[in-house]
Amino acid sequence: MTKDQAMLAEAENLLHDDDNIDNMYLTFAIGDETYGVPIAVVTEIVGMQRIMTVPDVPRYIKGVINLRGKVIPLMDVRLRFKLEERAYDDRTVIIVLELSGSPVGLIVDRVSEVLEIADDHIDSARGMGGGESQGLVQGLGRVGENVAIILNSEMLVSDVELSMPEAVSA
Amino acid sequence: MSAEVETVADKQATAGALLRVSSQKISRLMDLVGELSLSVSETVNSPDLDHTGDRTQFEAAAHRLNMIVREVQDAATELRLVPVDEVFKRLKRMIREMERQTGKRITLEVNGADTAIDKMVADRLYDPLLHVLRNSADHGLEQTEERIAVGKPEKGVITLSAAQVGSEVQIVVGDDGRGLNREKILGIARKRGLYGPDEEPTNSKLWKVIFEPGFSTAEKVSNLSGRGVGMDVLNTTMRDLRGRIAVDSTEGVGTQVSLHIPVSLAFLDCILLRQGTHLFAVPVEDIFEIVKPDAESCMSISAGSRSEMLRLRESHVPVCRLEHFYGDTLPDLAPLSDTVVIVLKAGSRLIAVPVDEVLDRQQVVMKPLSGVLAQVRASWGCALLGTGEVALVLDAERLAAGER
Repeated sequence: MTKDQAMLAEAENLLHDDDNIDNMYLTFAIGDETYGVPIAVVTEIVGMQRIMTVPDVPRYIKGVINLRGKVIPLMDVRLRFKLEERAYDDRTVIIVLELSGSPVGLIVDRVSEVLEIADDHIDSARGMGGGESQGLVQGLGRVGENVAIILNSEMLVSDVELSMPEAVSA
Repeated sequence: MSAEVETVADKQATAGALLRVSSQKISRLMDLVGELSLSVSETVNSPDLDHTGDRTQFEAAAHRLNMIVREVQDAATELRLVPVDEVFKRLKRMIREMERQTGKRITLEVNGADTAIDKMVADRLYDPLLHVLRNSADHGLEQTEERIAVGKPEKGVITLSAAQVGSEVQIVVGDDGRGLNREKILGIARKRGLYGPDEEPTNSKLWKVIFEPGFSTAEKVSNLSGRGVGMDVLNTTMRDLRGRIAVDSTEGVGTQVSLHIPVSLAFLDCILLRQGTHLFAVPVEDIFEIVKPDAESCMSISAGSRSEMLRLRESHVPVCRLEHFYGDTLPDLAPLSDTVVIVLKAGSRLIAVPVDEVLDRQQVVMKPLSGVLAQVRASWGCALLGTGEVALVLDAERLAAGER
């Protein structure tokens, strides 16, 4: 292989990698449900740590943590979904996302795995009921027998009051 | 901070030794230095350390380490300092334009152009300073005929000067024009309900109203100024930079507008407070007094919205409860006499903020509030403390404005 060819091959690999990342989702559990967020917005996963409370934020923002000099607000996903609060245990983790240039940590019951879900395996969440026009649920990813609820992560941090589509919370 | 910015002569003499470094790299270094100082204080204050034995050696080493960190901090801050001349030069170019538009002849005198200031601050100063300068040219200076008539030199003089005073840079824009007209300004201020018909505010208080949004005494709106919009830019920028504005004026002699701005935005000298579960930090220069009130000095007014006042010697200071302000649901408030009260300077007013505990004085690293935290009111940002904790830095002025 000539040098040029090698470079081309590498470039193609990189492109391919990017494609892969687009279809990769980090899945996590809230109760019995499995949710997924695109891996591209995930910066890191850290264990539960000491939370410092902050005034003037919605109830689902539990406070902030200082992660190596970065202040990261934490969102309790259960509270965001208006589910009942649950005490944190040793499986509770924080998934740190970078959304619109700002970090936010999601407190979830536990992380599951990273899944590759092709676009044609994701069913649109349109018409799923619930009054929300811009849905929090982007789609339902079919993985074998199971279903991962793919979240529209930008919506998590939007000000819009959430009402979970009935079809999902049922 | 005893920062010296190299003069042009220095630069030429040591031309080979100068480096161009991107501001991102310096910001990265600043962040790291911040983290370093946090880690050091976390280590030194670690609860795991044995407090029983003789720790002389350790204490000495820790002290040295802290000294070095402080010096590294100062050195890193200095890297970002530039001469204020960067801004002044751009302003100088605008003078001819102003001469053309006003038909006045103007001399611009510049002093202290080598005063050092944080590059981040310098980049934001141009617009507000331009507005102050335009105001001086447009409203401050008289027309040439008018100047000759009152025996002033034909050419109006605008001075632009900078000097470092403590940890602040003061930038003063002065003119030798007609000065502010007390009657006219007071008239408008009364019409707009800023002062009652019988109130006679002191000059220094009254002059501040010219910075109120939309306040303009100019009879005709010109191309240059008079729409009252420029002052908004000035106010917003000064708030972001944690700066203050002062005006001094003598009728017939001229007006000076001075901007007081912290030299660096990186580190902030704060007092730490605890209220309930929240930690707060207040810049030391905003603190007027810290008092432990006794029962006699507390007063509650049931009329209206159940407000409280604190008697501070001869005057009464309105109390601002953080729990109320931030809408935390707290049915019973601790009586004022059970709290420690921080009296804060909010512009020309004072407000009394009761807290559970005053903790410490610390040099903190400040981070802006972004994302979901951007909605937090009356705060400059988050302060990272030596203990690894995070406190909210309170903005007294916005706290005072939000109470009512």
